[in-house]
Amino acid sequence: MNPLLLFLIPILPLFGGVINVCFGSRLPHRLVSGLSVAAVSGSFLLATLLWPLGSGEGTRVVLFSWLKSAGFQADVGILFDPLAAVMTLMVTGVATLIHLYAAGYMAEDESPARFFALLNLFVFAMLCIVLADNLLFLFLGWEGVGFCSYGLIGFWYRNSKNASAGRKAFIVTRIGDLFFAIALLWLFSAFGTVMIEQINARVAELDPLLLTGLTLLLLGGACGKSAQLPLMSWLPDAMAGPTPVSALIHAATMVTAGVYLLCRMFPLVSLSPTGMAAIALVGALTALYAASCALAQREIKRVLAYSTMSQIGYMFLAVGVGTVSGAMFHLLTHAFFKALLFMGAGCVIHLAGGENDIYRMGGLKEKSPQVFWLFLVGILCLAGTPLTGGFFSKDAILLTAFAAGDGFYATLWGIGVLTAGLTSFYSFRLLYLVFFGTARQAGQGHAPSPLMLWTLPPLALLGLCTGLLNLPHLFGGHEWLTLWLGQPMAEMLPVGTEIGLLFLMLIFFVGGWVIAHVRYRTFPGDEQAGWRSFLLSGWQADRVYELILLRPYRAICRFCWQGGDKALIDGVMEGLARLCLHWGDYVRRLSNGQVAFYLQGFAWGLLLIVGWFLLASVK
Amino acid sequence: MTPDVATPFPLLSLLLWLPLGGTLLCLLLRHSSNLCRWISLLTTLTVLVVALGMAVSSIGGSGWLFYEDAAWIEPFGIRYTLGMDGISLLLVLLTALLQVAAILISWRQKQRPALFYALVLVMETGIIGVFLSLDLILFYLFWELMLIPMFFLIGVWGHENRVYAAVKFFFFTLAGSLFLLLAIIWLYLLHGGQTGDYSFALDALRQTVLTPGQEMILYIGFMLAFIVKVPLFPFHTWLPDAHTEAPPAGSVDLAGLLLKTGVYGMIRFAFPLFPAAAQKSLPFLAILALVGIFYAAWIAYVQTDMKRVIAYSSVAHLGFVILGLAAWNQLAWEGSLLLMINHGITTGGLFVMIAMIQDRSGTRELGKLGGLWTVFPNLSAFFLLFCLSSLGLPGLANFAGEILVLLGAFKADPLWGGMAVAGVVFSAAYMLRVVQSALWGESKKLARNDDLAVREWLILVPLAALVVLLGVYPAPVLEFLREPVSLLLETGGMP
Repeated sequence: MNPLLLFLIPILPLFGGVINVCFGSRLPHRLVSGLSVAAVSGSFLLATLLWPLGSGEGTRVVLFSWLKSAGFQADVGILFDPLAAVMTLMVTGVATLIHLYAAGYMAEDESPARFFALLNLFVFAMLCIVLADNLLFLFLGWEGVGFCSYGLIGFWYRNSKNASAGRKAFIVTRIGDLFFAIALLWLFSAFGTVMIEQINARVAELDPLLLTGLTLLLLGGACGKSAQLPLMSWLPDAMAGPTPVSALIHAATMVTAGVYLLCRMFPLVSLSPTGMAAIALVGALTALYAASCALAQREIKRVLAYSTMSQIGYMFLAVGVGTVSGAMFHLLTHAFFKALLFMGAGCVIHLAGGENDIYRMGGLKEKSPQVFWLFLVGILCLAGTPLTGGFFSKDAILLTAFAAGDGFYATLWGIGVLTAGLTSFYSFRLLYLVFFGTARQAGQGHAPSPLMLWTLPPLALLGLCTGLLNLPHLFGGHEWLTLWLGQPMAEMLPVGTEIGLLFLMLIFFVGGWVIAHVRYRTFPGDEQAGWRSFLLSGWQADRVYELILLRPYRAICRFCWQGGDKALIDGVMEGLARLCLHWGDYVRRLSNGQVAFYLQGFAWGLLLIVGWFLLASVK
Repeated sequence: MTPDVATPFPLLSLLLWLPLGGTLLCLLLRHSSNLCRWISLLTTLTVLVVALGMAVSSIGGSGWLFYEDAAWIEPFGIRYTLGMDGISLLLVLLTALLQVAAILISWRQKQRPALFYALVLVMETGIIGVFLSLDLILFYLFWELMLIPMFFLIGVWGHENRVYAAVKFFFFTLAGSLFLLLAIIWLYLLHGGQTGDYSFALDALRQTVLTPGQEMILYIGFMLAFIVKVPLFPFHTWLPDAHTEAPPAGSVDLAGLLLKTGVYGMIRFAFPLFPAAAQKSLPFLAILALVGIFYAAWIAYVQTDMKRVIAYSSVAHLGFVILGLAAWNQLAWEGSLLLMINHGITTGGLFVMIAMIQDRSGTRELGKLGGLWTVFPNLSAFFLLFCLSSLGLPGLANFAGEILVLLGAFKADPLWGGMAVAGVVFSAAYMLRVVQSALWGESKKLARNDDLAVREWLILVPLAALVVLLGVYPAPVLEFLREPVSLLLETGGMP
């Protein structure tokens, strides 16, 4: 197989996107969506065919030099190694399903070309992140997904709230990108290269302090993209976008890019104990924070958004405790079941007649059993029901955290277990409020189109069965994913401890479920007051940021303008101008048109000059 | 200094004087405005074609790609010396391109069209002259020649507050230039006194032996003129006013070209003539540049007039350019010059588009705009593209230059590079604010609702194509910059 074919994987969606940008508005609706589905499924097919190229050391190919100057070189190059191969397959696969779903979901929209162009361009940019062989090319994808996310969140731009949400997402993630960019500059000045392979091979040369600095910077970048504390507040607002966008960008792929980056740079990251601890801490805290927020959310998509944030927290925790395969395992299972949940939520919203508020839904189980069962699968995976994909992947992370031993990681493990209980609770709360009880929605819903419905079963199947990918030895598996990624096997805990921990997890899972069942099996009535509104607002994060960041920023901006430019600089300049005018005016008075006055001046002048010469000659 | 290429035909002079020929024709045929605009369009197109031809023919060349030298005012040792290396070539190309856009965007000029086109063409001669002159008097002549047409363009064809803006522009730049003139004359006298050879040739004057004190004073004299033109904080306040009041063609020329002459003056004249003083000044330049990057980005965020936002964004971007120069290494310099060209195209495109938007909506006030995407999808898509390039999206033009500047600056001093990166976040803040106010939301009342016309497509497509091309594959430009930049850094720039 020609390795250059690898380039077709990102280029196909790029091509689809560019065609839709240029000619989409003149093409019929079906052709527009068909083209973009074809482009992405083509990538998926290629990724499957070219899979063998990813084994072992992987394959590196270069198309051309993007930027080359005085010792700096960044190619448009691909590094297709086991990690990238897994991610590519997931991204293209999930994207294909979501594109299909979107073809149904957006069938009535008036500007499909813009939608599908952006969606295709997004897949292109995401694949750049996944495949890039150097950090600058990765950064291109990194910013590219940010832009596509911006455009798609604000897709229904007539409501400027949507557009604002997009802008917020772009700017908050860009604050993270700033750290990533500094890390990039730093790596280049340390190694003279931005090639991922070379950097990872030579990290041992670095000073430990520098390593920690770099790890923290990369963590900052990852936090922005993956909506981790403290750069998390954009993700819930991002739900303003169309549902397929939430499924693809804000659940399955882009938000996990931060995790992927840390995995890609793991040889560097893993050398800094402080950095690793920071990653684990950020992950665990975000997991808990977001789960707590999810407890009180009212909009179906916001529940899912916070749960995404929380699950990505687990992935960060995994990286922080040193298990790349654990992080990637959870990344994969999460991608499947969360895409399933979001797309299910899209169906739910259609069924409920455009209603978003889960307190005004209910009884949808009777309305569409098919959607119910599919959604149930997603909920079971999310809640960590034993033997589903979500169970195995979450459990693997917590086991590793527990095995790490010391008090710090034990605490994080505790947070993780607690969060698992909360997750189980809010998952079933969502399920009960939406599907059980009496119908409370006002509008008359309509059934989702077949195209939408039939894209869900594959995801449900994947969500249920991905556990097999990395089945632990305890369950008779061989940890295939860990082997493929070439990662060290998880430390074996004594079987007794492992089973004990599993039981503990089970208790938390069942506990969450039972409480949700008791509280929400029948509709408890509207609940809003007190601590719920605090959680609903995401711990008032937006208000805090408004107070400590945005207001001071605007004040500084205005001060620079009015105080700096207008008062100070222009004040001085205009003052000088007035001074000149003033002097000029003074001198002007000398020419008053009276000949006698002029003569007098002439005489005095003459006297002065003659006097001067006289004095000079005397000396 | 013997030129490698002896051209049988004085191509440089052709480039230089063609626009002036167009000016004369315009003035002679001033009664037919239609004829005038076709003459000016053909003139600018010819210049562009000639410049492109010269670029193609000099791929892979080294040294002075083109060179002309003739005696001019011999008693004072003033010569007519023109030279073109890779840097001048690219800047001349940029000039030629943007002038075509400037003519096309003023196609419907109603008020005194002949004079208007004539002035735009005079300016082209002035700018090209600055980029080609190697004799200091010749350089100064063209330097001042740029000033006059711009003064009139703003003062006669500008918007409401045009006289204030024109006078401000004139005095800021003139004040700077006077120091330049004094410094040139003093340097000439010093050099003549030392060698007996009274000459204004750049190459000769570089040999002048100067005490550190003299060198510093002369350097400051040169730099004042250039810094005001760039403009570097805190000498930038003329720019927003000039931009706001200038007619579209004036804005395109200001941002796209005039600002670049300041940077060009630094690298071609100020640094090579006074290398020791230049070295001493680098930290100060870097600080001014860094302050400018942040300060201008902050102010841009609270502007309500689209043109003012872009004007302040130019100050911030030129801050990056100067930071790159201050880093004083190959990487950063190539980045600075690339950014300068890319900024010219991006910002030129933005000003062109603001004119189109103002045509249709009758306003540039962000508060009064909105929902343009609904009515003008094509126009809005182009506008978004230029905005994205301006905020430094990788894969588009500005990023390619910025990242090289940052890499080079980081190499010179991690603090410079690290701080400058933060400027990128702020640029996203103000650019997205413009995009949001103009393109998104409900559409407002409009004067016209026709999307792009053929003439407008003709302006935008090449600019947009370049924005993408230079972002994805800047190698050809970097190729032209490599040798001249390394010469400037090592020896002061004479092939």
